[in-house]
Amino acid sequence: MERELHFENPSFYKRLKGMLGVDFYRLFHTPLFFIFIAIAAIIPAMVSCLTMMPDRSGNVMEPLYSNVWQIIAASEPLYVIRTISDYANMNMVFIFGGIMVSIFIGHDYRSGYVKQLFTTHAKKMDYMISKTISCAFAIVCMCASYFIGGTIGGLIAGYDTAVNVGSLLVAVLGKMVLSLGWASLFTFINVILRKQFGVSIASSFFFGTGILIIGVAAVVEALSLPTAFLNLFLYGASVNACLISGFGAFITCIVVSLAWTLIYNLLGTWILSRSDVY
Amino acid sequence: MNAIEIKGLCKNFKEKQAVNGLNMTVPVGAIYGFIGENGSGKSTTEKLICGLIHPTSGSIKLFGKNYMDDGVKAQMSVLIESPGCFPGLSVWDNMMLQASNLRLPNAEKEVIKVLKTVRMEGAAGNKFKNCSLGMKQRVGIAMALLGSPKLLILDEPINGLDVDGMRIMREVLVDIASGGATILISSHVLGELEKVATHYGIIRHGKMIREMTAAELEASCRTYIALQTKEMSKAKNLLGCRYSRVEEDESGNIRVYDLTTPEEIVTYLYENGICVTEIKTDKIGLEEYYIDLMKEGK
Repeated sequence: MERELHFENPSFYKRLKGMLGVDFYRLFHTPLFFIFIAIAAIIPAMVSCLTMMPDRSGNVMEPLYSNVWQIIAASEPLYVIRTISDYANMNMVFIFGGIMVSIFIGHDYRSGYVKQLFTTHAKKMDYMISKTISCAFAIVCMCASYFIGGTIGGLIAGYDTAVNVGSLLVAVLGKMVLSLGWASLFTFINVILRKQFGVSIASSFFFGTGILIIGVAAVVEALSLPTAFLNLFLYGASVNACLISGFGAFITCIVVSLAWTLIYNLLGTWILSRSDVY
Repeated sequence: MNAIEIKGLCKNFKEKQAVNGLNMTVPVGAIYGFIGENGSGKSTTEKLICGLIHPTSGSIKLFGKNYMDDGVKAQMSVLIESPGCFPGLSVWDNMMLQASNLRLPNAEKEVIKVLKTVRMEGAAGNKFKNCSLGMKQRVGIAMALLGSPKLLILDEPINGLDVDGMRIMREVLVDIASGGATILISSHVLGELEKVATHYGIIRHGKMIREMTAAELEASCRTYIALQTKEMSKAKNLLGCRYSRVEEDESGNIRVYDLTTPEEIVTYLYENGICVTEIKTDKIGLEEYYIDLMKEGK
């Protein structure tokens, strides 16, 4: 008996829901996500506590921070760092996040899952969106974990706790909002380098450090552009969300994050659609 | 209507031409045996059909529609090379993830059904990485069966399967095809393929060199007479003098491919002092047909 041939186009909502279901299930059912959550908590706690420990001669090194919340965000927007403490704050989460996203997406290709996925009704854009959302969620969780670890570490180390709560909130929420943009960047990198697992991890690490902002800063200075121009970039906006930021910095984070998410998703979709997937 | 219709398909990888002007027609409901040597372009063609890679030129239509049409893709299932499963997750989890991607309404029931079909229900809790090669292949087949696809593309699905697994596979394929689904299956195990295929396509150097139905294959397979004597080499020499094509097969039988009868051969050898101990008439199978075709090409 021949079945009636009826072809139904699944809606975007249905496709995305299915794909997100898979991504979140994987996040919560494999150790990768939890390992990185733990790393995000342990690193700031270790950095703040270890620098307060005396060496064999009983000397204590000069503390990296003077305030607990400097572990979370810089005290002022410094695009080009002077000391490691200017850099060692919640922005480091984007480095861990980049590595996690690379491993997460790398497994899609190594296991052959993408082959299974793209031979169904899944679209390339659905893939980009689904990865961006699930990885952004993972990075937000890592930010929260970093916040807890850093705060506890800072309190144990005995740093000062005085802070402008509003600015602290802007800094933390701003970085969390930017996780979306960062996740889309890492997804994009991994789509380009999908066949080179090691290179994709190294690249995500490299871009996650935000080191390219130094080059952009040089260009900005050479062209005598306002420093605020740097806030148009993910790392610049991340730096701008600091302990003296106002609500404007938060709005900048939202706009920058959404804009780059759109750009990277469109570029990623374009590349995936025009190249051989597997 | 044809389930797959390919015209002038080409695929180049840098300087290598993997598929070279391939034409292919797979009718709806067929079990299409796709045969070719290693590197002949089978897997590339299958990847092209399911949209994993882009053609350099040519057209692919599935059920009369463009092969990238979402509706058509939603009705297609694929097992290419190996199943795309996460090694750290269980068989059940991997199946459920694929069911989630397919947005199946009764996912659990459907997964149980297909796992039972491939006799893997008892191993659903096993981590995929701990499954044997045969079990992994069964999982891949089960995954491909999810959602009752109308077009199933299977690349070497019986690799790693044991005898029982192959039997199950045959039953499953026939069952699916009887429900109206179309199956494109590539395999090097031609004996197994011959038991289920209704159509064949033979590819060489990226070109389709022959397409035929099982009935056409049957008709074009030559008959031969196989015989055994106690003096094989003498018999072979004698027969070689009288008949145009006399060969010795892998089992040590002498085969005479010319149009003749067993009686005539027995009489001829008897007159030359050779006693035939065993003689039978048979037909070459798909495997020999394929080998002959490849020899002709060379």
